[in-house]
Amino acid sequence: MYPAAPAVDSVWAGWASDFSLELFWPGRHYRSTNPCRLIALRRTVHDMPTESDSLMDDRPAERTATAQAAAPLGADEFQALLVEVLPSAFGYALRLTRNRADAQDLVQDAALRAFRAMKTFEAGTNFKAWIFRILTRCFWANHRRRQRRPNTVDFDDTPDLYLYARSAEHGLPWQGEDPARTLIDRLGTERVSEAIGQLPEEYGVVCTLYFMEEFAYHEIADVLEVPVGTVRSRLHRGRKMLQKSLWYLAEESGVVSELTQREGDA
Amino acid sequence: MTHLNRYTCEEAFRRLDDYLDRELSAEEMTLVHEHLEICAGCAREFNFEASVLRGVREKLQQIDLPDSLQARILAALGNARR
Repeated sequence: MYPAAPAVDSVWAGWASDFSLELFWPGRHYRSTNPCRLIALRRTVHDMPTESDSLMDDRPAERTATAQAAAPLGADEFQALLVEVLPSAFGYALRLTRNRADAQDLVQDAALRAFRAMKTFEAGTNFKAWIFRILTRCFWANHRRRQRRPNTVDFDDTPDLYLYARSAEHGLPWQGEDPARTLIDRLGTERVSEAIGQLPEEYGVVCTLYFMEEFAYHEIADVLEVPVGTVRSRLHRGRKMLQKSLWYLAEESGVVSELTQREGDA
Repeated sequence: MTHLNRYTCEEAFRRLDDYLDRELSAEEMTLVHEHLEICAGCAREFNFEASVLRGVREKLQQIDLPDSLQARILAALGNARR
């Protein structure tokens, strides 16, 4: 939950020697190189979407794909469509279960359920989203048995542009052409995956669908059977949390020190 | 378009996520884009965010399907069809 913005007189802003703007906010320290951000940051705190939704939200998802009157899916057609989406379904299942063996079981379970329910698939709608929806239901119902690893990152009160601000504090944004890319590349696939895994489940699932599958908001809503507004708010918070998680892992793994050292030597 | 129609930094920043995800209307996309053309500070922040998204996306999409999984599922479907 976002805190109430502090009174104007409790916010101190001043120009740092490099002409960037430092904002001291109770409980956080944000430094922006963009002076306009002082006002934007204050107002943004008030404008944040509230996270009043939960996984128990059973309102129907917004349907955007238009069902066409067509013959039901045949077994061969179903199989052909399924084979196409198997790699991404396995990737999604792996993010959910965090275990390759469990992910394979989950995908097989979902495939069989989908096969038995293929007459309910509406021709002309998004097959991949339909499979992912069944896979998600299977996960919640049968495969969610493993204890999630306890979070080591405190996600409360994560400000916007977290990675940018922390990188700026360490002088990282000014390295090379694409500083964010340098940081992510140094972290590597395993740590980026771990960062997603650190997120609270409802945020991790939305972020997985967003990053891995490049689903649009309405498609994620369709898969998770929640309103688009819920997806938007979870994604907004999830992205901020992910940045905090990435920074935590970058510090823990020595990537930050390595890049800072390299910048100092340059 | 006159300067009166332009977004401020605050208005552009509030739309950062939706802009990067192309979830804004065409008019809003244009207004944010125009703001980024004249505001180097916001442009730097937007570019950084976009690069983070691209980087994370590329890393997470590097997952290979286990060789045996497709055969295993097709066999299970074959049994279910009988």
